Amino acid sequence: MFRANRILNILLILMLMSVPILAPANAVEERLLSPSLLLRTLQRGDLAIIVHKSNPVQNLSMGELREYFLAERSHWSTQQKIRVAMREPGSPEREAVLRLICGMKRDQDFTTYFLRAKFSEQVVDEPRSLDSTPNMIRFVANVSGAIGYVRADEVDPSVRVIRVDNLLPGDPDYKLVLP
Amino acid sequence: MLSINRKTFRIVLSCLVFFAPSYLLPETTVHGQAKTELAQPAKPGDSSTQTGSTAAIPVPSTTTGPTDDSDKETIRQMLRRIEDLEGRIRELEARQAQTAAPTGTGTATAQQNAATEGIDSPAASPTNTNGGQGAIPPVAITHDDHQDLPNGPPRLQIQGFADVNFRATNEKGRNNSFFLGQLDLFLTSRLSEKFSVLSELILEAGEDNAFTFEIHRLLLKYSRNEYFNLSAGRYHTSIGYYNTAFHHGSFFQTTANRPFLFAFESRGGILPLHNVGLSLTGRIPSAPLGLRYVAEIGNGRAARPGARPVQTVVDENNGKSFNLGIFARPRQVPGLQTGFSVYHDRLTRPGVPTVDQTIMAGHLIYVNDRTELLNEAIVFRHAQAGRIFYIPGFYTQFSRRFDNLRPFFRYQYVNVPGDDPIYRAVGRRNGPSVGVRYDLSDFVNFKAQYDHTGRRRLSALDELILQLSFTF
Repeated sequence: MFRANRILNILLILMLMSVPILAPANAVEERLLSPSLLLRTLQRGDLAIIVHKSNPVQNLSMGELREYFLAERSHWSTQQKIRVAMREPGSPEREAVLRLICGMKRDQDFTTYFLRAKFSEQVVDEPRSLDSTPNMIRFVANVSGAIGYVRADEVDPSVRVIRVDNLLPGDPDYKLVLP
Repeated sequence: MLSINRKTFRIVLSCLVFFAPSYLLPETTVHGQAKTELAQPAKPGDSSTQTGSTAAIPVPSTTTGPTDDSDKETIRQMLRRIEDLEGRIRELEARQAQTAAPTGTGTATAQQNAATEGIDSPAASPTNTNGGQGAIPPVAITHDDHQDLPNGPPRLQIQGFADVNFRATNEKGRNNSFFLGQLDLFLTSRLSEKFSVLSELILEAGEDNAFTFEIHRLLLKYSRNEYFNLSAGRYHTSIGYYNTAFHHGSFFQTTANRPFLFAFESRGGILPLHNVGLSLTGRIPSAPLGLRYVAEIGNGRAARPGARPVQTVVDENNGKSFNLGIFARPRQVPGLQTGFSVYHDRLTRPGVPTVDQTIMAGHLIYVNDRTELLNEAIVFRHAQAGRIFYIPGFYTQFSRRFDNLRPFFRYQYVNVPGDDPIYRAVGRRNGPSVGVRYDLSDFVNFKAQYDHTGRRRLSALDELILQLSFTF
């Protein structure tokens, strides 16, 4: 009996020790991730550019982002119509996008820009204005051609984060940082 | 009976504590999930239904080694940060609860968004009032088509533009007057994913103080993709930059009036700025420098004395005008645009030989949120019975914004030969304009402008224009 218990105990220990080997790859990877990168993302207030999960785009340059957010491009390479989602005026995320991507210091410049773009036949629909992060994520998750942005620590799995100038939020030289 | 001794129990417990988190955590909640998505594009229609933590942060694959002391400190900082964020969330929830009670703003917005997008978003359900604290509902619907269509019939959007002016001039026969500019009603409507309608209706008073109403633009537009956009109807000809950048509403203009090269036909302008026909525009695939093209064919401009210049219903000949243009907006220099266009038409007048008209236009533009630099040059070539006449013209305009104030300077020149078969009455005009635009609000501005215009064989004109322009 004692020997059987001992053997069972050893088997139990071996099973538990094998858990990391049998666990999903992501879970293993998770243990290896450095929290310092996550903290940098949180502390610095990185903005993540998000698209619909079906969108195959992996990376956009800042110049391309500017073209997309200012509706100089109307379709993705997949011929899907681009739908730009913006946060409501006054939100720090919107201010960061206007300043860093669109090159605009005042919110009214963006409003006037789209009024004028509509007037000059460049666009028909203005960017969708969304008043919260959940609404932004919901919009991008539901509209296949959508592109938007949220704080990197607020991204969830229903959308996909794309690289900007080949960098992700948390990378040292990532440019989209909240003021 | 099987029993586990104390030592073994301790070992088992340690193993559980050490390894269990990595095993028990759902796959979606780990950072590796975001990383996987970045590396592998999701398939269309993929509806991720995983739930769990709402914050998954993408982390690059280049990661560091095992946890050390600094990481522990980092984790402590993160925990503090999470506590702060939770505090903020509680505060926001409390605030939202206060405001949502009477108005229901959040839910209404979500519902409105979903309705306008034509998507049955589960998040728009009235029962979902968690303010996003829970997991985002699974993505169940992907509308590739008609996602911009509102429910029901197309909806008309109207934007108005208008201006009120005062003009003081030394021109003989013209008194200093207050006057109304154009009342511009700009209409748009999306009919489907690819079709839309645009119209610009103008109501204005003439020199006889009588109002006239005219459809200045009416276009049905088909946008297949960004390389092919076909419009049919009455459009503003893509000659140069100014005509398709500013159209009728003076609200967008820095100056109080248009350069006289781009003055409208009804106000003595010499360019065929309006046309009825077809217009095709788009990007040139794979071309560098953001190259775009424009190709237009239409009735052209009337040349008969007394006829209305824009041939909206009847063309005075069977020949059609065409306009071909190419322009570049290089991504590397945001705000820069340069381009060239060629317009051709045959102008027929009773009793005189037909005039072969060619208009070549080039522009170099740089506009950003502070600086505006517009340069355009145009040359008309009129060929009639073996004789050639050239009309050169240009304008240059510079302005810079200082907060809400934007001073500007413009110099313009056009020189029509005295024997030109079509526009000889225009003669030569040249001179500077200086002024200032002040934005009183986002949608109201005030302009003060002084023009000095030299004229061939006539005295120079001096004019002061004060203008209030607005959009509504």
